Amino acid sequence: MINRIRYGELDWKLIGAFLALSLIGIMTIYSSQHNSSDAYRQTFFLRQMVWLLIAFGSFLAVLHLPQRFFDGGAYVMYVVAVILLVAVLMVGHTRLGATRWFDFGPISFAPADLGKLAILLTLSRFFAYTRLPVTSKRRLALSAVLVIVPMMLVLKQPDLGTSLIFPVILIALWFWSGLSPWYLLLILSPFVSMIAAYYWLSWAIYLVGLMIFLAVLRPGIVLAIFIMLLNLGFGMVTPFIWEKLEGYQQNRILTFLNPGHDPRGAGYQIIQSKIAIGSGGVLGKGYLQGSQARLDFLPERHTDFIFSVLGEEFGFVGGMVVIGLFTFAFFRCLRIAVRCRSRFASYVVIGATAVIFFQFVVNIGMVIGFMPVTGLPLPFVSYGGTALLVSWVFVGMIVASEYHWF
Amino acid sequence: MSTREKIALTAIFGVFLFFAAGLLKLQIFEHNTMYELAESNRIRIVPIEAKRGVVYDREGRVIIGNRPSYTLSVVPAEEVKGRTVPHIAQVIGMDTSQVRRRMRRNQAAPYQPSPIYRDIPFEIVAVLEEQGQEFPGVSYTLDRVREYDLHLRPEAFTGHVGEVSEKELERNPDAGFRMGSTIGKKGIEKQYDRILRGIEGTDFIEVTAKGEILGPYAGKSRVRPVPGSDIILTIDNDVQLAAIEALDTFAVMRTYGPDGKTVDTFINRPGAVVALDPRTGEVLAMTSSPGFDPNVFSGVITDSVWQLIQGDSAKPLLNRPLNGLYPPGSTSKLITLGAGLELGVITASTTMPRSCIGGYQFGNRFFKCWEKNGHGVTNSVHAVEVSCDVYFYQLGLRVGVDQLSRYYDLCGFGKPTGIDLPNEFKGHNPNSKYYDERYGKNGWTKALVLNTSIGQGEILVTPLQLAQFYCGLANGGKIYRPHMVKKVIKPDGEDVYTQPELAFQLPFTQQTLATLREGLRLVVEGGRGTARRLKNDLYTICGKTGTAQNPHGNDHAWFAGFAPIENPEIVVCAVIENAGHGSEVGAPVVGKVINTYMKKKLGLLDAPVAQVTDSSAVAAR
Repeated sequence: MINRIRYGELDWKLIGAFLALSLIGIMTIYSSQHNSSDAYRQTFFLRQMVWLLIAFGSFLAVLHLPQRFFDGGAYVMYVVAVILLVAVLMVGHTRLGATRWFDFGPISFAPADLGKLAILLTLSRFFAYTRLPVTSKRRLALSAVLVIVPMMLVLKQPDLGTSLIFPVILIALWFWSGLSPWYLLLILSPFVSMIAAYYWLSWAIYLVGLMIFLAVLRPGIVLAIFIMLLNLGFGMVTPFIWEKLEGYQQNRILTFLNPGHDPRGAGYQIIQSKIAIGSGGVLGKGYLQGSQARLDFLPERHTDFIFSVLGEEFGFVGGMVVIGLFTFAFFRCLRIAVRCRSRFASYVVIGATAVIFFQFVVNIGMVIGFMPVTGLPLPFVSYGGTALLVSWVFVGMIVASEYHWF
Repeated sequence: MSTREKIALTAIFGVFLFFAAGLLKLQIFEHNTMYELAESNRIRIVPIEAKRGVVYDREGRVIIGNRPSYTLSVVPAEEVKGRTVPHIAQVIGMDTSQVRRRMRRNQAAPYQPSPIYRDIPFEIVAVLEEQGQEFPGVSYTLDRVREYDLHLRPEAFTGHVGEVSEKELERNPDAGFRMGSTIGKKGIEKQYDRILRGIEGTDFIEVTAKGEILGPYAGKSRVRPVPGSDIILTIDNDVQLAAIEALDTFAVMRTYGPDGKTVDTFINRPGAVVALDPRTGEVLAMTSSPGFDPNVFSGVITDSVWQLIQGDSAKPLLNRPLNGLYPPGSTSKLITLGAGLELGVITASTTMPRSCIGGYQFGNRFFKCWEKNGHGVTNSVHAVEVSCDVYFYQLGLRVGVDQLSRYYDLCGFGKPTGIDLPNEFKGHNPNSKYYDERYGKNGWTKALVLNTSIGQGEILVTPLQLAQFYCGLANGGKIYRPHMVKKVIKPDGEDVYTQPELAFQLPFTQQTLATLREGLRLVVEGGRGTARRLKNDLYTICGKTGTAQNPHGNDHAWFAGFAPIENPEIVVCAVIENAGHGSEVGAPVVGKVINTYMKKKLGLLDAPVAQVTDSSAVAAR
């Protein structure tokens, strides 16, 4: 039942990269809070250390669990996750206007984390064992429905950042299961249309571009018209959806489009983050020496903006080390996905990697001012116990896929 | 390698390059900008106000000093709910809601003290010192405020300081002041603002995002302020004090009871005194009554106080020596006489064809002389002695409207004297062109010149202009520009003296001047002189009374005179509004001021009138 593991044969380069990122995280969390007036905050790095031990233990546990637990238990896990996501909306604990957690004394549990795992395994199993052809409408529709249900539940909490992770897994697996990237673009085009419709001129240019694209790709006249109508429809509902967005979400988008939009409010975070990173220079101001972090100018500096602290104190060199470690790890994951002996394992690796990759892109893009503020932490580095645990469970599945899944 | 692998690899590597480029841009190319921004985030630039220069009288006695003042503030982040605000409100006697309002209005950052009460009494500071733990989050800062010696009632020339207005900031972008700076608003404080103000220093303090002060910022050292220069004025405090006392004492209304007895009532009429040294143009005294406390402008004036000042019918804000416009009355008969002599229409001994019978019939109008019983026949100097209006009516007709106006102009009227004080008025000197515009080509008659020849009608002068004219009479026709500053003492100890500047010459020959002076002597020394009461054994005063008719009320009383006759050293001009005859009210005021000056000069002053104080004594006060 329990697998025996020959530890020497594990992919230690990959494990080492993520372990290094986790340790850099603890170090930076210490720096970000070491002179806080709040004694509780000063213990954040200790708490993160304990969580890393738990996370690494879970990683080892995943290695020892048999594959059946993952592919066989996927659908059960999916059902449990959906039930818990419904339950949390009814009896969950509300913090800062969001109902995301079940509270068990000192420990809280967010069912969305289980949801990520469940979706990853469920989609992997569905794509690995279905006989439906890649472009079949039933296959596309079924997988979409599997994702949309938990996604909507998470969106309802509300938690925009996490809810975006579900479609990311879906798109990654569609892509990896052989769906042509061009078709993928067509499927995604209505969402691009929504964003482009923010301004009528950009929307017009986008629609013209889409028509040229369709003319070149020739997917068949019926599909082409369907896609065009879908694009028009999505674009036209944009204003209504905009009205539906929470004030802070509208603000984030406006701030992204123009960081000077509200320099004391939402824009403040991005401006201060860019100042922190930029002021670090080549080698940084030195560990524990970042004035932006030390003097409270950086908001959320132990979670969403941890990379800003790092960039300020270790400069370009430090920032490149972190980005380099992630990139190296992603290459390593891709290598495993290619070498996996089973389709299920390969899908799991790609899905898990996509989740980490997506968070990485969104977070770094945010702190250097390339993307709007979404509230997604940097995986492995940011403070947050359950996030670290889930990330390491994903690493466990990636490593196990290569080592003994088939 | 399959296509999907290539795409995945490209995506991963593309993101890597994208982020690397982003870091390169921020941390290498934009590093300097971002570094500056990070530093400016944590530096708070605190201006250090320079010590404003002290202003002394000609003998080194303080007129404008600086005194310490405490400002009470609350640090919002350190406030303890339910303790800080109620306790402090009780001590300073305000409502808690009022304290809260002020805290909110002045709050800049959670850790930055929010001022709630300026210039708190020292007793409150003592309470805070003793019971500091009762007032968590309360702090006070020490700074300086201007202090004017109110005994001297000096606001006519000192002016006052106040917070710079947005207009002033716009107009002088490079003047070295910023929002919240204190600058001179009037008088010496405004005229010599740059000299008195010095140069502001700067302190660099490291703060957190919430405004918590961590200590001095290591990267930049404090820039020390350069204190302002001290100024020695030409004012003599003894003369100044005599002037205000004289204004207070002799502003008397004489009424006649039914039993024939005279009753004098002290009325404290508004008025002005200007004393000049005719040899240099130095201003020895200048005051405007009623005075006001210029310290009210040091802080923020409340609306109610402002309304009171504005609504006062005695117009305390009117700076009478420079801005008070009055008809000169008989004091300007010397211009009419001088013009007549210079134009050759009379000689000193000329008598007029019509004797004074208490008035003069001109056309269908009877122009009265102030003396109902008439003066009979007089020559020019005796006409000055008794101030006979009838003589001057006839002289004025011979001189003519435009010649008289020209002589007024040549004697310095209708244009500013150019004193080193801001906002001086130029008065009004009408001529036929003006009358044509005002009344139409044929809308006025020669009767107007009858008025102007005795200083009535539309001619308006300031007390300073009249004093300046009498300087010329006293000083052989030479007029030195009136000025306030004797010496500027720079902070490095260098002294800069003001040199007397010959402004212009009266349009009279020495012979004419001698005649005019003889008239002025007889006003005091002659048997029928209108200011006989100023006659004394020690020295001889020359001067002229004036009673300016005022369509809005009682006559304004004038006197302008100088002493000693041999070599005049002081010219004093006084006007007291609505106080009656110049001989009864004006002359004694001037006499008292001249008396103080002469007694001091002769060493006969019983005791120093003004207390001698130095700057250290003021600082300790």
